[in-house]
Amino acid sequence: MNATTVTDIKFKPGDYKSDLKPVWCPGCGDFGVLSALYRALAKVGVEPENTVVLSGIGCSSRLPGYVKTYGFNGVHGRALTLATGVKVARPELTVIAVGGDGDGLAIGGNHLMHACRRNLDVTYILMDNEIYGLTKGQVAPTTPTGDKTKSTFWGNPEPSVDPCELAMSCGATWVARGFSGDLKFLVELVEGALRHHGFAFLNVMSPCVTWRGDDQFKSMKEKLRTLPEDHDPTRRANALAYTRETEVLTQGVLYEVETPSMVDRLESIKQRAMNGRPAPSTRDILETFIPKV
Amino acid sequence: MPVRDLTIAMVGSGGDGVVTMGDMIAQGAAREGLNVMKVEAYGPQIRGGESSCTVRVSAGPIYSQGDQIDVLVVFNWADFARFRGELVCASDAIVIFEATDEKPHDQIDLGVEDTVRWVPVPFIQLAKDAAGTTLAKNIVTLGLLSGMFRLPEATLRRAVEGKFKKKKTEVLEANLRGFQAGIDFAATISDQAAGKRFQFETKEPMLLMSGNEACAVGALHAGCRFFAGYPITPSSEILHFLSEWMPKMGGYLVQTEDELSAIGAVIGGSFAGVKSMTATSGPGLALMTEMLGLASMAEVPAVIIDVQRGGPSTGLPTKSEQSDLWQALWGSHGDAPRVVLAPSDVEDCFHATVAAFNIAEEAQMPVIVLSDQFVAQRRETLSMLTLDHEVKSRRVPTIGELEGFRRYRDTKTGVSPMTWPGMKGGEYQTNGLEHDEFGQPSSMFLTHEKMNAKRYRKLRGVRDDYSFFRRYGSERADVGVICWGSSKGPVKEAVLRANGRGERVAAFVPQLLYPFPYHEFKEFLATVSEVIVVELSYSAQFYKYLRTFLELPEGHTFVYKRSGGKNLTVGEIEDKIQKVLEMGALRREVLV
Repeated sequence: MNATTVTDIKFKPGDYKSDLKPVWCPGCGDFGVLSALYRALAKVGVEPENTVVLSGIGCSSRLPGYVKTYGFNGVHGRALTLATGVKVARPELTVIAVGGDGDGLAIGGNHLMHACRRNLDVTYILMDNEIYGLTKGQVAPTTPTGDKTKSTFWGNPEPSVDPCELAMSCGATWVARGFSGDLKFLVELVEGALRHHGFAFLNVMSPCVTWRGDDQFKSMKEKLRTLPEDHDPTRRANALAYTRETEVLTQGVLYEVETPSMVDRLESIKQRAMNGRPAPSTRDILETFIPKV
Repeated sequence: MPVRDLTIAMVGSGGDGVVTMGDMIAQGAAREGLNVMKVEAYGPQIRGGESSCTVRVSAGPIYSQGDQIDVLVVFNWADFARFRGELVCASDAIVIFEATDEKPHDQIDLGVEDTVRWVPVPFIQLAKDAAGTTLAKNIVTLGLLSGMFRLPEATLRRAVEGKFKKKKTEVLEANLRGFQAGIDFAATISDQAAGKRFQFETKEPMLLMSGNEACAVGALHAGCRFFAGYPITPSSEILHFLSEWMPKMGGYLVQTEDELSAIGAVIGGSFAGVKSMTATSGPGLALMTEMLGLASMAEVPAVIIDVQRGGPSTGLPTKSEQSDLWQALWGSHGDAPRVVLAPSDVEDCFHATVAAFNIAEEAQMPVIVLSDQFVAQRRETLSMLTLDHEVKSRRVPTIGELEGFRRYRDTKTGVSPMTWPGMKGGEYQTNGLEHDEFGQPSSMFLTHEKMNAKRYRKLRGVRDDYSFFRRYGSERADVGVICWGSSKGPVKEAVLRANGRGERVAAFVPQLLYPFPYHEFKEFLATVSEVIVVELSYSAQFYKYLRTFLELPEGHTFVYKRSGGKNLTVGEIEDKIQKVLEMGALRREVLV
């Protein structure tokens, strides 16, 4: 269980809203993600003081400033490194990392691989607009091949990556895709991510009206469909059927399994190392340096 | 005449067991309460290849590895040749070598006139005869050294027992026979050891520790309960030690995917309220530099140990140098205040690490402990009594301060109240972006100027409260040597030797490198006539750093600098001191 659960309703979505006004462009998909996060936090009932939202750099990485919990807007690509430190040092906290496709898949791609592999008990929301927004419209790892951007005058020469497929192959234990234009469903997904025990990876298609135009939103909305009810998310092969889609965009929890998380494993090491004894004093440690001859 | 200070060097290939032999001598001597310094050197091979081990054993205090070897043991002259220029023998050294080694010893350059005593010993034959295997060669040698030079025989025998007690009884017995064979052979050539026999009194056992271990223990003592690191020579022993001990202390350790992640995790852990640390070497520090700026900007305490090695790039991974100085001091985009400390010996590694945590917590900024391979990987004897250090913690906000909480409140000292997750009412969003007192992003000039001033102001408190340094030698001196870090050992020994000859020489060694201890430097300079700056950096980084803050006496300042790769010796410092003393004397004659 990644988040603290309470049975009675303790918080309203507005309790998580900070005084800071988002810098996002009107119509930005990230507004939907932010709303969904407020609502999901309230539904799960996590205490703001026991929650940390961390990010890297990018439009979407401004999000921690808009949430009234502890927050950290770090440097480009390193949200998950900060989250690793917070969660491992203080396992009882609810830790959420957020960012965009450039931040998480290009400059920070290596950290995503290892957070998945470790099954770090963190929720990672990747707001995917298939473009670099803050730096004004360059190609990203999720930009479709052939697309013209500010940095691909002749069209994008590179194939794109499917973030969900990547996360699954690296060992994430909860992988979902959402759409910022379907708020009701997105709230459920964020809630599910917060409640998952282990690394929860939520890829939210979050259109960029400024650099991808109205077409991106329209096209995503048209292609959107929801996973069939009989989808068995415990089998990776089933989940992989919904990756690398071009004609449709399937939202839902693609993959979900329960395995020991990084915190579980480190706690078990600690139990073994301490073996019911109090922590040694500095003198105890120093005495081990007297040669035993 | 017996001696009370003996330096023994052993050279062989991997498998010859010279390091094991050195370990046993060091352990036995520490157990007897003697002072020991043990240094190892390797080729770049992962297994096998040449290795050397130098152990200095003394009944009195020691400050350096001993630049002249009294006893040299060589199993293979080809291996010795790979350390040419690094292992220098005393003119009356005793050179004990494998009698059957095909390379004639008269073609070997020992770095001194051929006045040494050559002692061929059939190590291979002795090992075969006594233990039935050439593998016991090093144990035969241990017995031989013990017998010839009167090292503590009973303790060394126990060391052999300890080493092999988990093996089969036959193996243990074979090695004990090998040890005895060495002692017996020593009796047949005992006249060869004349003038080098060691004399000592048994005292309380000492601790035997490396600088890396001392840093790790210092971190635990300071309350560090989270470590994130990526393996890199010569710092990895910190990671290794803490991988065992951190969980025993109730803390957590992660070996991250790279150094970017290591420093990120440390900043995250510290932001979350847990004292956190990473350890690396020059190339790793380079990767951490961006987030060093983040820790500085977001005012998150972080401790980074940089164990320097020869550079740039992959450089000389297994050998020492003092050439990360500028990177540690100035490596940054933007104006990013940090603190740089430099331990000068193994004991200092403990104290500097605890001080680093105290400073990081009090001033809420990154603190770099600039260690180096020489101090980090050598083993040295220490007394339990000197290893204690006051521990300080982060300033918790008052209830009043939580009212409209300003995380980055601009105070007189520059230090603001800091909360961490779990503290209700203390929630704040921090930023790598410039921010106002509440932590909200701002790109206004006025905010940037004000917050830069606030962040730099914190350094004043550090300089006033933590200006620790060492001064040795004459109160008023004709020559004053300024050095830093592990150069202290040979410099101190050279200065004390000069004082012993009645020469007026002094040394100044700052442990706090930045913020610059200006007044302490000025005071020292006022007491000396000529200055020598000593460092292991080809481009003289330390000298140039001093010049950014100090007017060094023009025409009276000399620089002794060279590349790392070979540790600084007492002899080369003495030589420079002598030259400058003579020059000073000449100058005074002219003035009269």
